[in-house]
Amino acid sequence: MSNEIWVVADLTIGGDVRKVTFEALSEARRKLVGKLGGQLCGVLIGSGVSALASELGKYGAEKVYVVENELLKDYTPEAYTVALSELIKKHNPYIVLAGNTSVSQDFLPRVAARAEAGLAVDCIDLDLTDDKRLVVKRYKYSAKSIAAVEFLDYKPMMATIRPNVFKPEEDVKNPEVVSESVEIKPEGIWTKILEVRRKESPRPELTEADRIVSGGRGLGSGENFKLIFELADAIGAAAGASRAAVDSGFVPYEMQVGQTGKVVSPTLYIAIGISGSIQHFAGMGSSKVIVAINKDPDAPIFQKCDYGIVGDLFEIVPVLTEEFKKLLAQQ
Amino acid sequence: MRIVVIVRQTPDTEAKIKVAPSGDTIDTEGIKWIVNPYDEFAIEEAIRIKEKLGKGEVVLITMGPARCIEALRTGLAMGADNAIHIKDESFAFTDPYALAKVIAQEIKNLGEFNLVLTGKKMIDEETGQVGIHVAEELGIPHVAIVTKVELSSDLTKVTCQKEIEGGQMVVEVPLPALITCERGLNEPRYASLPGIMKAKKKPVKEVTIDNINLEALGLTKEALGPAGARFRVTKLEVPQIQRRLKILKGKQQDMVKGEEVAEAVRELVRLLREEAKVI
Ligand SMILES: Cc1cc2nc3c(=O)[nH]c(=O)nc-3n(C[C@H](O)[C@H](O)[C@H](O)COP(=O)(O)OP(=O)(O)OC[C@H]3O[C@@H](n4cnc5c(N)ncnc54)[C@H](O)[C@@H]3O)c2cc1C
Ligand SMILES: Nc1ncnc2c1ncn2[C@@H]1O[C@H](COP(=O)(O)O)[C@@H](O)[C@H]1O
Repeated sequence: MSNEIWVVADLTIGGDVRKVTFEALSEARRKLVGKLGGQLCGVLIGSGVSALASELGKYGAEKVYVVENELLKDYTPEAYTVALSELIKKHNPYIVLAGNTSVSQDFLPRVAARAEAGLAVDCIDLDLTDDKRLVVKRYKYSAKSIAAVEFLDYKPMMATIRPNVFKPEEDVKNPEVVSESVEIKPEGIWTKILEVRRKESPRPELTEADRIVSGGRGLGSGENFKLIFELADAIGAAAGASRAAVDSGFVPYEMQVGQTGKVVSPTLYIAIGISGSIQHFAGMGSSKVIVAINKDPDAPIFQKCDYGIVGDLFEIVPVLTEEFKKLLAQQ
Repeated sequence: MRIVVIVRQTPDTEAKIKVAPSGDTIDTEGIKWIVNPYDEFAIEEAIRIKEKLGKGEVVLITMGPARCIEALRTGLAMGADNAIHIKDESFAFTDPYALAKVIAQEIKNLGEFNLVLTGKKMIDEETGQVGIHVAEELGIPHVAIVTKVELSSDLTKVTCQKEIEGGQMVVEVPLPALITCERGLNEPRYASLPGIMKAKKKPVKEVTIDNINLEALGLTKEALGPAGARFRVTKLEVPQIQRRLKILKGKQQDMVKGEEVAEAVRELVRLLREEAKVI
């Protein structure tokens, strides 16, 4: 067992390092590295990714392992599993962290299975016990409870963190870059990628957004969602929706926030024409500040928000958009 | 075509969560149990595939205490053919690692299977790994977070659409494969009355802790119980986020109207800026 803490970088479709990777590096440095007396390392998997090592260095990685291979150019669970599993076998890291993204959710369970390691996903707190075992906090029961979970063995200890919970903080290092070659057999890659569709949206992604404006059934139609988009654009927010809005066909499923939709935790969440069901809150209840606009003073959302206006969204939202625009133009 | 669906029973989505006196788990007193909503998509998809092919067998499998028979009956009433219940009261809190190994072994014991479907995650424990771990144990490909499934006409491959950040991906894998189901895949049917009647007669095989070859799996009896093997929950809390609850209303303690709209909006923006400091 080495004393290394690894953060596996997660890249966007466009090949940039995701912010959650920087969040993981920063929190590991703040909470784990000192207590363990360990070394913070980044891991890059892909093809032509070594140039990104300095990005990881910016957030405190002292060493960066780079696994490059033509067969890692596109993400497949099989090739990535081999790459990370072999690396773990060779270097025995103490802790392996990553962001809780669709890619990590996809291949880390396989890696954990191979390493016989425990894997705790979507963590919102990281710490070490006195005897240096990882303790995490994570939501259970659809965000209705938070569990403190202690690892009982070290094989390594693996965890993914929820995006947008930890603060990214620079601590510039010039990392040692360690190139690793891993043998990947083409016949072991079962997944054939037929198509990657990028959503052409000028807005940030829901799960990473710092501000979110969501609309519910109260919007009444897909057309009316332009009110949501305009407000979102005025403050650089992502746009979301309740399940009722999705089920009514106003907007596509990928915008749904909630228990059976996306789980988000922005600084600011503005819910418009949303009643505030338990299932909706399961996806956004951990937002720092929640604002509700609803015409029904008895809507449950008014019992669990920070600020609210009781009124007709069709009257309020355009005025609010203008007010935000005015304010932000002054800056 | 044999389709296996891995299902779990979870507390109802409306259930109020209370922490048990032990402090590390929930008080299950009075809780209504349902089929994990993501697993309902898996059951529905399996039945649709069978209906479309006009032949095949849908097998449900669950691991958990006696109460989980209800989840199996629901799936059978929807149209699954038979079920396996890996049953023990201690299985209410099995570690995901051990769960996956035991479930995979039972699937292997079936002999032939072509497709394994399960939910994207369980909405209670939210461990987010059992399905994919089962695929690893079975040595078959998996596709996760899937919103569309299409089998090739010769039944050797499956094409899936899956959700990723900022887009979608369409991938193809050879069968047998495991798929984890996301909302959007289908609208699960309700069990019909005749379906419910028929379900009572459909076979449910029980597997007890003594039937599991723990040694072969590198597990112990304790590893299957609440003590867990890789983690221990030391504390469970119901989060109490204090909200400010500043609600701006109209004169009649009701909707803001006319002039009040602009006033309320200005006040809201001021609060967001000066008090909450988020704009
Ligand atoms: C298993 C399961 C999973 C679920 N998962 C999710 C999930 O992931 N996400 C989710 O959101 N829901 C989910 N739900 C559904 C959830 O229970 C609610 O039905 C849903 O959240 C309601 O959406 P809504 O608030 O938009 O609609 P409604 O409850 O119909 O509320 C609409 C609101 O708009 C207000 N309104 C109407 N017109 C105006 C106007 N002109 N101006 C201002 N306000 C107006 C009304 O007062 C009302 O409060 C799930 C349900 C189940 C059973
Ligand atoms: N005890 C269990 N019995 C059967 N299936 C289970 C059990 N626990 C979890 N699963 C399945 O594993 C899936 C994924 O769970 P998760 O580990 O959260 O990803 C769920 O949708 C369930 O179908």
